[in-house]
Amino acid sequence: MYKYFPLINVFVLMITAFTIPIVRKKKIARELSIFSNAVILILSIFILVNVISIGDFHYKAGYPNTFFGIDWYIGSIESVLSVLFAFVSLLIVIYSYKSIEHEVPNEKIDFYYILLNLLLASLLGIIYTNDLFNSYVFIEVSTLASCGIIVIKDKKANIKATIKYLIMSTVGSGLILMAIAYIYSLTGHLNMSLIHEVIIKNYTQYPNSVLIILVLFTVGLGVKSAMFPLHGWLPDAHSSAPTPSSALLSGLVIKVYAFTLIKILYRVFSFSIVNETIILNVIILLGSCGMIFGSIMAITQKELKRMVAYSSIAQMGYVFFGIGLGTPAGVATAVFHIVGHAVTKSALFLCSGLMIEKVGSKKISDLKGIGKEMPLALVLFTLGAFSMIGIPILPGFISKWYLSLACIEINRLSLVIIILTSSILNVIYYFPIIINGFFGHENLEGKVYKSKSVSIDRMLPIIFLMTAMVLVGGFSKNILNFISTAF
Amino acid sequence: MFDFILILPILIPFITGLLILLIKPNVKKTEKYIMFTVIVNFIITAYTSFIYKGLSFHILKFNNLLDIYLAPDTLGSIFAMLVSVLWIFTTFYSFDYMSHEHNLNRFYAFFIMTLGITLGIAFSGNLITLYIFYEMLTLCTFPLVIHSDTEEALKCGRKYLLYSFIGAAFVLFGIIIFFSQTGNLDFTAGGIVKLFNNSNKNYFLMSYIFFFIGFGVKAALVPFHSWLPSAMVAPTPVSSLLHAVAVVKSGVFSLTRMTYYIFGWKIIEQTGGNDYMLVFVLLTILMGSFLALHQQNLKKRLAYSTISQLGYIMLGLVVFSENAFIGGMLHMLFHAMIKITLFFCVGAIMHYYHKTEISEIEGIGKSMPKTMICFTIASISLIGIPPANGFVSKWYLAIGGLELGAYFVPIILLLSALLTAGYLIPVITTAFFKGPPSSEVDIKEPGNLMLMPIIVLTCISVITGFFPNLLISVLQKASSVLF
Repeated sequence: MYKYFPLINVFVLMITAFTIPIVRKKKIARELSIFSNAVILILSIFILVNVISIGDFHYKAGYPNTFFGIDWYIGSIESVLSVLFAFVSLLIVIYSYKSIEHEVPNEKIDFYYILLNLLLASLLGIIYTNDLFNSYVFIEVSTLASCGIIVIKDKKANIKATIKYLIMSTVGSGLILMAIAYIYSLTGHLNMSLIHEVIIKNYTQYPNSVLIILVLFTVGLGVKSAMFPLHGWLPDAHSSAPTPSSALLSGLVIKVYAFTLIKILYRVFSFSIVNETIILNVIILLGSCGMIFGSIMAITQKELKRMVAYSSIAQMGYVFFGIGLGTPAGVATAVFHIVGHAVTKSALFLCSGLMIEKVGSKKISDLKGIGKEMPLALVLFTLGAFSMIGIPILPGFISKWYLSLACIEINRLSLVIIILTSSILNVIYYFPIIINGFFGHENLEGKVYKSKSVSIDRMLPIIFLMTAMVLVGGFSKNILNFISTAF
Repeated sequence: MFDFILILPILIPFITGLLILLIKPNVKKTEKYIMFTVIVNFIITAYTSFIYKGLSFHILKFNNLLDIYLAPDTLGSIFAMLVSVLWIFTTFYSFDYMSHEHNLNRFYAFFIMTLGITLGIAFSGNLITLYIFYEMLTLCTFPLVIHSDTEEALKCGRKYLLYSFIGAAFVLFGIIIFFSQTGNLDFTAGGIVKLFNNSNKNYFLMSYIFFFIGFGVKAALVPFHSWLPSAMVAPTPVSSLLHAVAVVKSGVFSLTRMTYYIFGWKIIEQTGGNDYMLVFVLLTILMGSFLALHQQNLKKRLAYSTISQLGYIMLGLVVFSENAFIGGMLHMLFHAMIKITLFFCVGAIMHYYHKTEISEIEGIGKSMPKTMICFTIASISLIGIPPANGFVSKWYLAIGGLELGAYFVPIILLLSALLTAGYLIPVITTAFFKGPPSSEVDIKEPGNLMLMPIIVLTCISVITGFFPNLLISVLQKASSVLF
């Protein structure tokens, strides 16, 4: 029975997405969305429990052994990410229940929830699928849905950002499609497991083709997941979008493409093949650059959401860094970082959104003294920042720790310095906000205690996300061990 | 069964601090809470140090790495006792000193939380716990440093944060390298390195150096010391605590843990890392003293003096002999008492006469004789004139150095003692022998809340100078498991 759950997940989301326009009532649209998210969270937990107790499984849809048959594979990483995505998305949708009216034009609210459900459906599809073309289709759906949730605000900045995103993303999709075509012509399969079987036998005959395919995939997926020099669209898109969209985009959407890259590098190909090419060195170099330059650019930002967005680029650097290490330990840590960062960054975006909404300004300089006006919001923001900086037990520390151990394992000690430099840079851009928020005579003058704080039910999703973050950090070893069973 | 009692000295200050932040009681009530917490904490700490020894407690154990574990041994108990005793004096002192300041609730809340965290450092049973408390210490002392909330204070606070976090990153780097080689971080007397050979020698060397520099930032190792003079913008009780107990001594205590309980001195000797660090330490001793000579501001002069004195303590950590270790640890205790007294005296001058520069305090010894006599006694102790306690610790350090044939150690010690005299004696002479004759001056001593801590602390230093054997025997017990 549980084998159908992945399919049911995607269907539930899609069906609710398409019922919303029939109902056309804002309130019901929101409730439907929350309901569907809750359902998939429960189903995802079932999947996770089953994978833990019984083991990974395949689900074959359509005609499994023909080229249009679709194969879904649910292993340990897939089940973890599925629960994570459902959880984060549920909380973001709950958050949006009260706040979306402030950001999105009234007549578009039901449309917004269609897009959210479609987006999550496609993200889950990308996670579950074991079929290259199927994942391409879902990638396209997710790209369009993400464009939709950015542009929905109908402001000039949004339209500009969306066009930028759309163009860069389409280039990325084109590269991915080329790579898929290439791989299909080489192997005659689209199913990842089948491709793997063919390629493991024959790759020595096609060293250049393998390299080209890897480069195409890396660049294509790199554009979409904001790999360092290809990140140009992200700050505009994530900072101009409505807050729930930013949280969703930064927390989940960019992660899923990185996970697709992991699948292609290590499941379609394998550790041994990939380690023979130069692609890993490129990925690790770009990842390191992302970690450093993303943070440096975040330091120079004047707007809060842009700063947090640049911080996402830096954090994606960690993920690519882990992928680029080319060892099971490195890749498992990269997946762990996806998990940890998803909860942290979505919570940070929601916090920033609340602060921006109440203060009425996007500028960091206008947020001085916010700790007196909205103490709880800034405390939660601080907790998220602690994770980024690497205070022990929080997931940011755990990722840094295991990434560094993975570096030492392959005798590349110098890479550890990059990790630590980036964590110091995180201090430089997160702390001024916190310091100016809580302290300073000039900053606090004339501010009234708790004058801008919001009701606790709007804070609850953020509190839940932060709790989840602490738990992810605490049970990091269990999560990592479970993830590692995939390799 | 009783082991959970260990968590109380850490938890109670935290709860008090949070309650003060949330409830915002009026100042009188806050002071009562603080006094109560400090004394209860002292009793529990004393209880765990003297009566129920050898307790250990896992606060949270997720896995072998994330294991928050408290297990105070002799050394930890000594440090914990030092912290809780001096905290009581500082508390009473600050009731008077802080009475005209603003935002007292915030001050006392973080003041009391810092006590919990420092005790956490003292009680830590493994390196990861120590690291957590070490990071929290930075965060918790930050609001104290910037208490005046001026632009300048914020600037200095940022410097303090940045130095501390960079130091912590160095420490983390050291921990990671060390963990990759051993897979274990529990404190064990004599070190936990099992496998040491030529192939991993360089890893240990690098790890040691990063550790030393990282913790050295908090212990004001030259050239990473400049946050300490900047942090003098803090109110005097905070400065005295930062200097005497909480921050710099935590740095030194962490270094001790790292040297003798993580690596073990034999391993460090084999890597040769202590020879490199010795250079830094000697530089710290001399540079601190030389820089102190130039300072006209009293607090700054004492700040640089702290840097130099910390060098002595660290000397006991890079010269591996039992006597040097005892000397270093003794100096940690004595310097804490002496420096807190000196700061309290300077704070009293600042509070009652609003004078901060040496040139301004001409004749102040005539108007506050008791305070300045205490200052003089403390100065003599710091210089190390027998039979003051500073002499005892320096004696052990010198003997320890000579045992290993390091003849430069006593020479440096003598030179630096001379410099110490050079920067402290002028303060005393200006205070007593300059200015108007004593018949024209009104005597105005600080209030009892301020004066009593100063006098009691001075008495303690004098007594420990005459009868150091009790402390020495305790330290010998601590060192016997290490050597």
